[in-house]
Amino acid sequence: MNLVLLERFGAIIGGIVVGFVAFYALYKDWKTPGVENQVFKVMLLLLGVGAVVALLAGLGILGSFGKAA
Amino acid sequence: MAVASIPQGAHEEVDQLYAETRELRLQGFLLFLISDCVLFSSFIFAYLYLRSSGQGWPPPGIQRLDVAFAAWNSVVLFGSGATMHYALENWKHGNFMKYMGMLIATIILGAMFLGGQGYEYTHLIYGEHVSWAGSGIFGASFFTLTGMHGFHVFMGVCYLTVLLLQSAGGVYTKEKYFGITAGTLYWHFVDVIWVVLFSIFYLL
Repeated sequence: MNLVLLERFGAIIGGIVVGFVAFYALYKDWKTPGVENQVFKVMLLLLGVGAVVALLAGLGILGSFGKAA
Repeated sequence: MAVASIPQGAHEEVDQLYAETRELRLQGFLLFLISDCVLFSSFIFAYLYLRSSGQGWPPPGIQRLDVAFAAWNSVVLFGSGATMHYALENWKHGNFMKYMGMLIATIILGAMFLGGQGYEYTHLIYGEHVSWAGSGIFGASFFTLTGMHGFHVFMGVCYLTVLLLQSAGGVYTKEKYFGITAGTLYWHFVDVIWVVLFSIFYLL
């Protein structure tokens, strides 16, 4: 297995795990009050989005692989 | 030398002061994050403007950035955001050992991200001959923005290490832990900034 495939595989698995954890934490904290918790919810949402973006990049749906310009 | 004794009731006064000023400190810290957000935004919009006004991207002679490695490195940083969140949750629930484990995992993942960025810089500078000053807008904007972000990650790793030592030393209690909250907010902020940088540099 070459290095690029290994990196893509890591991005896919990591993206699924982190995305799940972020959205689950968001779901759990959804009803918590207070300013800091509202900020945490926004941050968790964006973290989850970031994980999905990395997952899609790992799958080759976003971005283009290889060195071609 | 005589040491001034702590008067009776001083701890209660400190607790009361903490409770009264906590919201104020939170607002101050959020203002700091907003100001940092403005700083990054100005550089990001400058980059996007310059990129859109150029002819083709990346510029001729420069190859596309390595998406696979960047995606993997991004997941490492986002994973550290998740571990930091659970570190705070464990602190709130009084699970000290789990908190320490999550905090150490966050520090390791943050350091791994920095190592990955160092590897990528080395590859770009020595392998692809891309530099900050000699590769036009591309090099200048890439190294400025990712370098600034990397510096934030480095400072975050230092901050979390201090938090680790302070927590082990008993500085924070179950009621008084604003430092941990601020650390978590800062680390999430660093993660969120990377979501944007990863998208505009590697995926657009």
